[in-house]
Amino acid sequence: MSDKHHGPDFDYQVALPISRGKTFMWLFLSTEIMFFAALIGTYIVLRFGAISWPSTHDVHLVEFWGALNTFVLICSSVSIVLSLEAAKQNKAALAKGWMLLTLLLGVVFLSVKMYEYNSKFSHGVYPQHPHSGIYEKPDVYYAQAVRLRLNELSADIQNTKDRTPEQEQQLVVINDIARIYVNPAEEEIRNHPDSVKGRQLLWKLADVIYPLASVHDSHGDQHSSGPGHHAQRQPLGPFKLASTTSENDSAGHLSGLNDKHHWLKLPIMIPGGNMWASTYFLLTGFHALHVVVGLIAFVILMLMTLGKANAGVIENVGLYWHFVDLVWIFLFPLLYLF
Amino acid sequence: MSDQNHDDHHESHGSIRLYMGVFVALCVLTTISFLTYFSWWREAVSPEMSRLVMMAVSCTKAMLVIMFFMHLKWEANWKWVLTVPASIMSALLIFALIPDVGLRMRHASYQRMIHAAELPAEREGEQEADKQEHPGPAQDSHGSEAQHPAA
Repeated sequence: MSDKHHGPDFDYQVALPISRGKTFMWLFLSTEIMFFAALIGTYIVLRFGAISWPSTHDVHLVEFWGALNTFVLICSSVSIVLSLEAAKQNKAALAKGWMLLTLLLGVVFLSVKMYEYNSKFSHGVYPQHPHSGIYEKPDVYYAQAVRLRLNELSADIQNTKDRTPEQEQQLVVINDIARIYVNPAEEEIRNHPDSVKGRQLLWKLADVIYPLASVHDSHGDQHSSGPGHHAQRQPLGPFKLASTTSENDSAGHLSGLNDKHHWLKLPIMIPGGNMWASTYFLLTGFHALHVVVGLIAFVILMLMTLGKANAGVIENVGLYWHFVDLVWIFLFPLLYLF
Repeated sequence: MSDQNHDDHHESHGSIRLYMGVFVALCVLTTISFLTYFSWWREAVSPEMSRLVMMAVSCTKAMLVIMFFMHLKWEANWKWVLTVPASIMSALLIFALIPDVGLRMRHASYQRMIHAAELPAEREGEQEADKQEHPGPAQDSHGSEAQHPAA
């Protein structure tokens, strides 16, 4: 700066022609742009570089909820703009009404998000151990994990002194799974390592526990036309799918043993599932965190008089909220529709 | 400064209809991306084209939000000072990842290949040779592959 000691008279503008709050909000948003650009860019690299990636229906992702949440965020963006307009005209009560609507829409968004998270958690889809039951391949380690879980369940029941009829029934189910699916697979793999039949049996085991919608789709199953249709068409590939008669869960998801017996919680096989879970929960989690911060800001605004004097504050919070909306606009197609 | 504020206020004042128009446009655009989910769309349009459409729709929606809801359309030139560097940095982040995407998609490593659902076409010849060496059940491609690490 010291170099500029001469020259013509410049008409210096000492600062940006906006308030400091707005300046810093925009500075903050520009760092946020980079933050989410990095996250989304990395997601795209991992998504398209991955050898396999689960389809939305393999991981209990429902497109409708994503679209609904997009709509909710758009509505909230409009309501906060209307709140700002009302505040500029010094209509404090009206501004507060719109702000309350924005707050409620934000809560709706988070509720839907929590419902979505729960539908994944309840199926054993977690981003990390020890909760995550996701295995990438149907191999001996997967069979071993299933075996261990069955042994654990079985031991628990056998150690109880007064067993209820329900527990007796559970024991029968556990023994059946071990006898019909796990034992043949393990025996075949032990006697003929890497044999096709052994691999088929492992696939069958994984499929009966957690059938993948994408696998059944690619084998020509038309699960949209009803469960009865499944048995009519034979799978094209080398693997006969055990659960070709499995019934539909909701919205294209297939239900396997884990769905029929919720207490089982057997390890599940989703190719690419761990990477999917990591990226999905990271992206949506960071976004949800931003939503929570926005909601806190709305609550603080609700305690203020939203007249002309505070229009600047509403504008800054609004800028932040629009940015949160903006991120979701990109996350929705990338996570739900790609 | 006061002029600027006045202009700003004047432009955005009384433009509720404009906001509603933007809102309707955003809803229509969201519906367009959601249409790609349905099977009749998926049967008619390739996934690449669908993704292109979705990204185009998302960028349009982002522009609508930035220009009208975030008022950047009516702001003075300071907007470029803050948004352009951030956009350049974001673009650099994305561009820096492109070789990664390209390399990983085009040249799968051996480990990745043997764990793939299907072997690439060019390895089928080797597969036949393996079968002759190790007579076993048909389609024993994965097993025989695993015993012969690639050169």
